[in-house]
Amino acid sequence: MDGFVLQFVEGLKTTVLLALISGALGMVVGLLAAAAKLSRFAPLRVVVGAYTTIVRGVPELLIILLIYFGGTVAISSFFGRYVEINAFSAGVLALTIVFGAYTAEIFRGAVLSISRGQIEAARSLGLHPWQTWLLIILPLMMRIALPALGNQWFSLIKETSLISIVGLTDIMRVAAVGAGSMRAPLTFYLAASALYLFLTSLALVVFNLLERHFAVRGH
Amino acid sequence: MDVELLLTSTMTLASGIPLTLILALASLVIGLVLSVPLAFLRASGNRWVSLPVLAYTYVFRGTPLLVQLFIIYYGLGQIDFIRSSVLWHVLRDPFWCSLLAFSLNSAAYTTEVFRGGILAVPPGMIDAAQAIGMTPLQQKRKIILPIAFRGILPSYVNEVIALLKASSLASTVTLLEITGLSRKLVSETFAPYEIFIAAGILYLGLTSVFTSGFRMLETRWLNAPPKQAAPDGIAVKRVAHGS
Amino acid sequence: MRAAMASSLPESQIAPAAGGVQARGIEKRLGNIEVLRGVNLDVAAGEILAILGSSGSGKSTFLRCVNLLTLPDQGDIWVHGEHLRLRPVSEDDSAPRILDHDQVRRVRASIGMVFQSFNLWPHMTALENVSAGPVLVNRLTRKAAAELGRRYLAKVGLSDKAGSYPRHLSGGQQQRVAIARALAMEPKLLLFDEPTSALDPELVGEVLRVMTALAGEGRTMMIVTHEVAFAREVSSRAAFMHQGRIEEEGSSREFFSNPASPGLRRFLAAHDERHS
Ligand SMILES: Nc1ncnc2c1ncn2[C@@H]1O[C@H](COP(=O)(O)OP(=O)(O)OP(=O)(O)O)[C@@H](O)[C@H]1O
Ligand SMILES: [Mg+2]
Repeated sequence: MDGFVLQFVEGLKTTVLLALISGALGMVVGLLAAAAKLSRFAPLRVVVGAYTTIVRGVPELLIILLIYFGGTVAISSFFGRYVEINAFSAGVLALTIVFGAYTAEIFRGAVLSISRGQIEAARSLGLHPWQTWLLIILPLMMRIALPALGNQWFSLIKETSLISIVGLTDIMRVAAVGAGSMRAPLTFYLAASALYLFLTSLALVVFNLLERHFAVRGH
Repeated sequence: MDVELLLTSTMTLASGIPLTLILALASLVIGLVLSVPLAFLRASGNRWVSLPVLAYTYVFRGTPLLVQLFIIYYGLGQIDFIRSSVLWHVLRDPFWCSLLAFSLNSAAYTTEVFRGGILAVPPGMIDAAQAIGMTPLQQKRKIILPIAFRGILPSYVNEVIALLKASSLASTVTLLEITGLSRKLVSETFAPYEIFIAAGILYLGLTSVFTSGFRMLETRWLNAPPKQAAPDGIAVKRVAHGS
Repeated sequence: MRAAMASSLPESQIAPAAGGVQARGIEKRLGNIEVLRGVNLDVAAGEILAILGSSGSGKSTFLRCVNLLTLPDQGDIWVHGEHLRLRPVSEDDSAPRILDHDQVRRVRASIGMVFQSFNLWPHMTALENVSAGPVLVNRLTRKAAAELGRRYLAKVGLSDKAGSYPRHLSGGQQQRVAIARALAMEPKLLLFDEPTSALDPELVGEVLRVMTALAGEGRTMMIVTHEVAFAREVSSRAAFMHQGRIEEEGSSREFFSNPASPGLRRFLAAHDERHS
């Protein structure tokens, strides 16, 4: 049992790392996709629109399976022999794609809710368009998007558990291994739940603090 | 990409649609039925009534559905009391376990959504019901619930879509719904692209059918002109813990 | 002195009159405000009482105390001669204050209330709004209730709107449906809380006409309104509320043509100016 405490710690690290990396990358993807959706270039809007619609209409598990097994096939044919894709990378890629699709919608909605007046005020200060974006629109947008973004991070933490299905040794996987070898599935899965609940509660606290911080400054 | 394989596997995987639908819709209905009384308790001003419900929704929304499913399917057997009871016949069956896990999970989300809807019912509507002499139960059934439900209908679509997608987790406990079938097929043919994409197409079809179905229900029920549709089908994922 | 009068009068269990409404020593605190500070007010059966007063003087709160939508902290209320059984509020307890829920529902069912903001139920048609009470509370059959509902919709001039949902009705029409809803319970008393204040000026007339017609039927009514001319025309008695008390009260003729208190004089002057 003692050994499993250490393994759970390792699993926790993996889960957190996976969430942080794919969340960060996913936000970048989401920002770019939101910008594309707001662009005047129609083909770009269509392509990115298809991306967000498809990803959000399909189970996350399926996307993970496609990337893991599809990636393995692709790499194997590249090397000419069977090479299994690394579960962590597959997880990062899959969750980034998912997170990007959802945050794209959030960012897009946030930009659209910024009033024209605020943007024109920035222009009238003599700011360049790119300065307007960087200094005015982006910070405003982040503040507006914060609650929805918090929800998304909250979901992301839970979705990392799906990567255990393709073999990543995260919290969930440690619990599954322990459940089998110690013949105590309830104990191990309850322990895993406690860890996930800890992480999601942490995310909740962090986002509440962020929201409060920005609400005060936003006055 | 082998288009012919894509088409044939779409046909094969379509046989998983009924199980996907049964799992999603049955847990949706069970979740809805459970959530109505829970939401009223949760909306209650009495802490001793609302806090236990909050504990339930907090835990079920704060942990992955996969863990919940495994606790029910693998974990409950560890308890001798359950193993020796009649319940065991149900709780060792992957279908019933999935249904139970999805229903409890859905009830937790729907409870919070409903609570928001109940609290958003204008107090004047309840004043009018009280003034006419309705009992508290009549007020809830005839006034508060219908108004709350209409209010949350747009966000309830998200719950339906979320459940359709969540039902794919049943494949992890050996059920052969769309995802389970596709995993089986991939392990036999090792053609992940065609088969998983075919499964994706089926899910996309289901989610868009449900989204547009709910849109129609919304316009008819809310008796309002069709709303400006969102640029693409599905709105933001179901909300996590309310702030 | 007021508190003593409010709760410990030995004769408070005896109805001061057979019909109408009697309120004695009604006190209500909302948040940090003493909204009602010992209101005494009677309405005899068949009488039409207009209640005037500046904004925030406690008129709505008092009216809501009559059918216990708001529970008074202190004081006694008789409706149709029946004493409403309430436990007065005391420090540090949270025990239920309504002692007899059946009585409260029975009394509420016998009082029709019309609100400033109509409060029609949005998921029901006009007819459903009107017949819901008769079915659910008075246990009429659906058919009988629908018939009753149509009759009262006709009475307020809205026969053709039976199947319409509230959001497709104008404010004036909504308020007339709300009046029909109150009437369909065949109440012994009607309460109106500023029924025209939320209406566009051109829609006020249609609602006042319906109310004037009701006044001509010998009904017992309590009307809170800012429409001084209307109040003078339909009411038999009137009361002026100021800072949670009844500052002046009397027969309509005296009240409007010969106001005694400076507060009421100022109020009437301000409202006459607005209308001339
Ligand atoms: N729920 C509440 N909590 C705290 N204060 C309240 C509440 N409801 C009413 N009040 C206060 O009580 C006072 C009297 O309110 P009330 O609505 O009875 O006045 P009114 O005479 O009907 O005024 P109006 O003409 O504006 O309708 C007001 O100062 C109001 O702000
Ligand atoms: Mg008022």
